[in-house]
Amino acid sequence: MWQQHRYKMLSSLLLLVSGLLLAIHSGSGKQATEFDWLDILGEGTTLLVACGWLGLIISSRPAGRVTEWLYYGSLLLVYSYFLDLLDEFIRYPDTIRLMSWLESLPAPVGMLILTYGLVGWHREQRAINRQLQGRELFLRQHQLIDPLTQLYGAAYLQAVLQREIELHKSQHKALSLLVVDIDNFIQFNRQHGMAAGDAYLSQLSELLSSQLRHSDLVCRYAGDRFIALLPETAEPQALIMAQHLRQQLLQLADSQNEPATTVVALAVRQGSTKAAFKAAEQALAVAKQAGNFSHKPA
Amino acid sequence: MNARSFGYQDKILLLQHGSSELLALAQRRGATLSKLLTGTSIFEQDLHKPHGRLHHADWLKLLQNCQQQLNSPELPFLLGSAILNSHYISLCQCLQAAKNLRQALAQLWYFRHQLFPAVYASAYLKSQQVVTIELRPAIGLGNQQPFMVTVLCSLLLTLIKQQLGSSQDIQVQLQSGCDALQLQSQLHWDCTVSFSQPCDSISIPLALWQQTFTDADPERFLAARRSCRQLNRVLAKQRGLLENVCSMQQLALPHLLSQEQVAGALGLTSNSLKRQLSLHQTNFARLLDQIRRDQARRLLQQGHYSNRQLAQQLGYSDEHNFRRAFKRLTGLIPTDFKGLFNFN
Repeated sequence: MWQQHRYKMLSSLLLLVSGLLLAIHSGSGKQATEFDWLDILGEGTTLLVACGWLGLIISSRPAGRVTEWLYYGSLLLVYSYFLDLLDEFIRYPDTIRLMSWLESLPAPVGMLILTYGLVGWHREQRAINRQLQGRELFLRQHQLIDPLTQLYGAAYLQAVLQREIELHKSQHKALSLLVVDIDNFIQFNRQHGMAAGDAYLSQLSELLSSQLRHSDLVCRYAGDRFIALLPETAEPQALIMAQHLRQQLLQLADSQNEPATTVVALAVRQGSTKAAFKAAEQALAVAKQAGNFSHKPA
Repeated sequence: MNARSFGYQDKILLLQHGSSELLALAQRRGATLSKLLTGTSIFEQDLHKPHGRLHHADWLKLLQNCQQQLNSPELPFLLGSAILNSHYISLCQCLQAAKNLRQALAQLWYFRHQLFPAVYASAYLKSQQVVTIELRPAIGLGNQQPFMVTVLCSLLLTLIKQQLGSSQDIQVQLQSGCDALQLQSQLHWDCTVSFSQPCDSISIPLALWQQTFTDADPERFLAARRSCRQLNRVLAKQRGLLENVCSMQQLALPHLLSQEQVAGALGLTSNSLKRQLSLHQTNFARLLDQIRRDQARRLLQQGHYSNRQLAQQLGYSDEHNFRRAFKRLTGLIPTDFKGLFNFN
């Protein structure tokens, strides 16, 4: 990410160097006995923390207007703190007021700019949240995202499902689950290699998150099983969605020699996640036994 | 027994036997190759050489990098089946074409230095119907031990599932009790898994051992075994230090070997054995304790020994000493332990 910001980094380096030169030019060095080490420690730490912010902004944010505000706000802070630290080592003659202005003015301005940037960040986050709908519910925990499919994993689903069950129960609304299972995925992996299997999984996850509604949440439950949480959806509606999904999957399977999938929809009537998952497994087993719910590629 | 044991710096692992699968899996999950290889002495160019090698220090670093770069708890589970189905590993071809589980596991045991030199197994009859295979580290694996054991168990379970249709009758016992592992093992293995156990082991009913594999093919099996033998010429049969020490002591029971005797048999001085063991984060006394504890547990599970007989078999001077030592090692007195087992 930092490669996008080369120009910014160069200009801020120049700014800091010019500050240093100006300070050296206008003042004279202090004796080592005059240093106040506690001050140096305090101001040095502030400077380091501000530099850390700059680094984090550069390494984690793509270029854009919000990034600019955040960056230049922090840069002014860094500049101010830097001169603040320098005056511990350099004494300026009383006649030159420029250095003390340069020391105190950029900090509040930088704070204002930074705050404006943070407001922009907040707005941006709301937009991203809308973008993330279907992949995330009320909880955000990036450690639980599966790196292959970019969906949340089983641990996340358990946490979210528990809360949704309670919520839906208290509001007397229907909650449904949709289970998509790949038949005999081990065999597919064996025949076509793990790379093909992984590619299929990410393709399938794309299809699932595009085919479901914004309010639904798709998770990768196990290696070869996806579970979608359908809030405020009664069983008949969920069954229709399952039928729709089956047709979509059929089209995906027609193009290549992909494995067959089983899609099951069921209403959650159980009080705990464990019981709900158990019911889902049973429904899946029944569907696999019957075989008529699954589709086979021609 | 080959007296020379390998250490962390011996290049005895083939890159094609696991590392390339691991790297491919990690890369498909978004990790960058250069970051995965940092801190190791592996070069990108060597990855595709048929006999490119690495040593265990690198392998452990690689595992650590993968877990740092990626948040993918399913990685060891996938790696096991990826290794099993790799076309480059003749040992795995051999396993797939074997007549039955007995033959496959015999091959895996015999050629284990080609695939998992860092883990060694010992099998015993747990009851009339079940054989238990205990897995122990042959070198100090540190906090990567759960990962390695999971990879190996996954490989075995996938093999059984592919060849015999179902792995439901298998039981897996794992030392680790980590939550993420528990969840993943429920999802990936359809067998009974118990956690926080005294030893990593896998129990396979006797009935499965002789059942014919679906892909059994004597010709392919022989061809694969031939190439395993050819590989033996370049890949010396070496065992880890811990494995050498433990198997030597195991054979010698009820006599207890001294550190000097073991060092002498391994061609080391007592001090250098001590130093090497400390590199593996263990020491001689601890290994000895471990062997006696495992042996005691095994004998108690198998059945009807009195404490006096056990004390004799394990080299304790009398039964009181044995009881005390057992209490210290397992937290239970032998009778309670037996009761626990029979009750289950």
